[in-house]
Amino acid sequence: MQKTESVKPKAESVKLKAESVKQKAIRADINTRVNSFLLLAFSVTLLAFSVKTAAQDSTALYIQQVLHPQEAEMRTQALARLAALQPPAAFPFLAAVSSSSLYLLDGRAVTTGSRSAGQDDRFPIYEVYPGQRQLKDEKGRPLLLPLSALQPVTASRPQRLQLAPLAAVLDMFSADAQKRAMAYSQQGAKGAAHADALRLALQTETDPLALRAGREAMYAVRLQRATDAAAARLLIDSLYQHNGDNATGILRNWAKKPGVPQEAAAYALQQAQRLDSHYAWMQRIQNLFSGVSLGSILILVSLGLAIVYGLAGIINMAHGEFLMIGAYTTYCMELLFTNVLQVQDANWFFIAALPASFVTAGLAGLLLERLVIRHLYARPLESLLATWGISLILIQAARTLFGDLTAVKLPGMLAGGWQVTPHLVLPWNRLFIILLTIVVVIALYGLLFRSRLGMQIRAVTQNRNMAACLGINTKRVDAVTFFIGSGLAGLAGCAMTLIGNVVPDMGQTYIVDSFLVVVTGGVGKLMGTIAAGLGIGIFSKVLEAFFQAVYGKVLILLGIMIFMQFRPRGLFPDKGRIAEN
Amino acid sequence: MLKAKSSSKLATLLFVLFFAVALPAGHWLGIVSVNTISLWGRYFCFAIAALGIDLVWGYTGIMSMCQAFFFCLGGYCMGMHLLLKATALQGQELPAFMVWNNITELPFFWQPFNGFVPALLLSLLVPAVVAFVIGYFVFKSRIKGVYMAIITQALALAMYLLFLRNETKLGGTNGLTNFKTLLGLDLYAPGVKVGLYFVAFGMLCLAYVACRKIVGSKFGKILQAIRDSEPRVGYTAYRVLHYKLAVFVAAAVLAGVAGMLYVPQTGIITPGRMDVKASVEMLMWVALGGRGRLKGAIIGALLVNCLYSFCTSLFPEGWLFILGLLYVLTVLYFDKGFLGLLELLFKAKRLKIAESIKQKAKSHQGGYKYSRQ
Repeated sequence: MQKTESVKPKAESVKLKAESVKQKAIRADINTRVNSFLLLAFSVTLLAFSVKTAAQDSTALYIQQVLHPQEAEMRTQALARLAALQPPAAFPFLAAVSSSSLYLLDGRAVTTGSRSAGQDDRFPIYEVYPGQRQLKDEKGRPLLLPLSALQPVTASRPQRLQLAPLAAVLDMFSADAQKRAMAYSQQGAKGAAHADALRLALQTETDPLALRAGREAMYAVRLQRATDAAAARLLIDSLYQHNGDNATGILRNWAKKPGVPQEAAAYALQQAQRLDSHYAWMQRIQNLFSGVSLGSILILVSLGLAIVYGLAGIINMAHGEFLMIGAYTTYCMELLFTNVLQVQDANWFFIAALPASFVTAGLAGLLLERLVIRHLYARPLESLLATWGISLILIQAARTLFGDLTAVKLPGMLAGGWQVTPHLVLPWNRLFIILLTIVVVIALYGLLFRSRLGMQIRAVTQNRNMAACLGINTKRVDAVTFFIGSGLAGLAGCAMTLIGNVVPDMGQTYIVDSFLVVVTGGVGKLMGTIAAGLGIGIFSKVLEAFFQAVYGKVLILLGIMIFMQFRPRGLFPDKGRIAEN
Repeated sequence: MLKAKSSSKLATLLFVLFFAVALPAGHWLGIVSVNTISLWGRYFCFAIAALGIDLVWGYTGIMSMCQAFFFCLGGYCMGMHLLLKATALQGQELPAFMVWNNITELPFFWQPFNGFVPALLLSLLVPAVVAFVIGYFVFKSRIKGVYMAIITQALALAMYLLFLRNETKLGGTNGLTNFKTLLGLDLYAPGVKVGLYFVAFGMLCLAYVACRKIVGSKFGKILQAIRDSEPRVGYTAYRVLHYKLAVFVAAAVLAGVAGMLYVPQTGIITPGRMDVKASVEMLMWVALGGRGRLKGAIIGALLVNCLYSFCTSLFPEGWLFILGLLYVLTVLYFDKGFLGLLELLFKAKRLKIAESIKQKAKSHQGGYKYSRQ
């Protein structure tokens, strides 16, 4: 065990003196050898050898002193020596010290890496001296341990401050890949200050993201040192092709530097320009993608609204609250799985929540239909007021039950994203929402156009009385339609938890938009709803990129009003002349 | 029939007497606090706006969900005037919120609001012009019914979001506040508050009489015809667009007047007054009081707001439950609103009286001749 940190400066300084005496002795020894002319060559080799071994030994010694100091002052001195000597093999160790994440595990000095998503409180473990390497368990998988299994070695703040001048270098040897990537980028931006350390760090780099940043930094450093235009051009091309995060900044800064060849500087600027336009395109694709995913949520919400309105002539202002119910169902599932069933894996609750939110919201819709809406068929304006009242009640009920703000943990399998190119990352959660929407649309299409129930729904939508005359149980059809419509909103709510918080009035933000979708798409039209939902979603995201969100919304509204001037019955109106009223 | 009419007249008279004489008298005798008076003054403003909604919705069948926006337009016009006066009184050049937002000179659209008369005219004109533009495009493309409700609702939302921004230079989320004087009179003096109460009540009576005239005229009859069957009115060569536009603008002006009177009494106007919720609530006043009856609109506005003040002070958590339940119950069971309910009760009573008279007559006759079964 470590000794308690009682301060004994004298003993320490005595030891240090002994140390320097020892070194002096070595030097004296060498001096005597130099006197001998014959042994010159031999002694030079010996000198190199002895200095090297001495350095290595002393590094190990100092590290032992940091890990197990006999007294606190000894650790201070050892760290000071290490900071002065800067032995590369000790960099990972020092990085762990300076970030206060040094631990002992069975006598070995280790540090923790960054947690990957989904793991709860267990970290990957890295041994830090000599060099850095990840520890594996007996099956060869990365070893994961909670912090409680490690014995912390804490250096005091003044002790760590001794390493501050080295911080830029040490970060390149951190066990945290993100930190390393950032340190590399800094090196690239600043120039050739620690080129050797950078090269050394890159030799053992394994993380792809950090490696990208590191390579770019390496190119940048070499570009700084490039003397002739041809070499510079080559490096500019490398930077351009490597397409890193800071490439434009590096190129522009370099071109501004005094003493850079005119032609090469112009070339650098030109390439930077090309990169910029490339990024702008990536940004546009990203915006388009966000638009599509926003559109998919709108579609999910509006589909239910559209079929219910088409069928029953009901303006259901409480439709947004089914979305809210779906979201809270997901939240409850998370609570159930983590607290009651003690499932550690954060994926299962979401898989269970998908059907659960559909069914819960559907049942709530069914109840609403039975109690209230049944009496309002074909009275759209009155139904608007009544369902608004219901939405007030539901929102207030949710607020009383769950409070003002909750959030659902992102399931581990949907964390992160699909990296198409380095500058275009499509988040898994948004991709999942798009996929979900596609599946739902196909299923709904099958239900409406390929099944008996769907035929009945369409018949009642077209002419309620005639359908009843032909023996269709319209009340049953109404109930089922309402169940499906509300369920779809619940599903949308479940999907919403992936990209936002769960708040009692979350449905309200979507209800006006989804009504606009229904109106633009034409009432009761599946295709129209899908087209309008995608259109409005994409437009609002694209407009947001140019204007601010609010102005985008105003513009969309104006666009819809102009659109309605030309097509008052929506995108895909019924053919033929249907008399008004 | 005669009896019913006279009883309704009596009720109206009592209503006017209560608010014009009894309540202020109560204040001067020290029974009613000045805050209560001011509160009722505000309710009258809401009632004026409700009258406009009744014209548009109850009589013409257009469900407009942006009346609160028109209300706020009137309110902001008056608020801008009051704020400029208050700033001048403090010896500053710009209202405080503009200084915070680094605006160096008064925006051009604030300039006309320095004078009282221009501000007064503008608070009528601005809602009218905006309503005209919106109405023209909406009615021209024959957007009606549900589509109309949704479009106007989205419009209200967009305007609400626009007014929330600081770039519109209208005070953003905080709105306009810190008013001091109106025409040189201190807004916080009890006398001025009572005066404003009287102005609001007078305006309400005036608006009611004007609306009654409109509804009774040929114009009003055509409005009701449009409500009952719009195509037929069109077929008989009336320009439906013109009528709808006229009534839409009239309602907007009424809402503007209401907003204009509301602001000096409340001392603040924020975008929160114009969100979608506010518009739906205004519709609810009319539905609750009795749609298609001018008195119903007034009663509904006063009733809901009284209830609001009462409930929020007693159990703030429960107010939304009560309001929601009121919405549902009104629509489901009291289609004709509070006024309809009253009439139903009176009718039942009258029927009972008639029945009992008949019974008495029967017993006098001996009851042997007819037995209606």
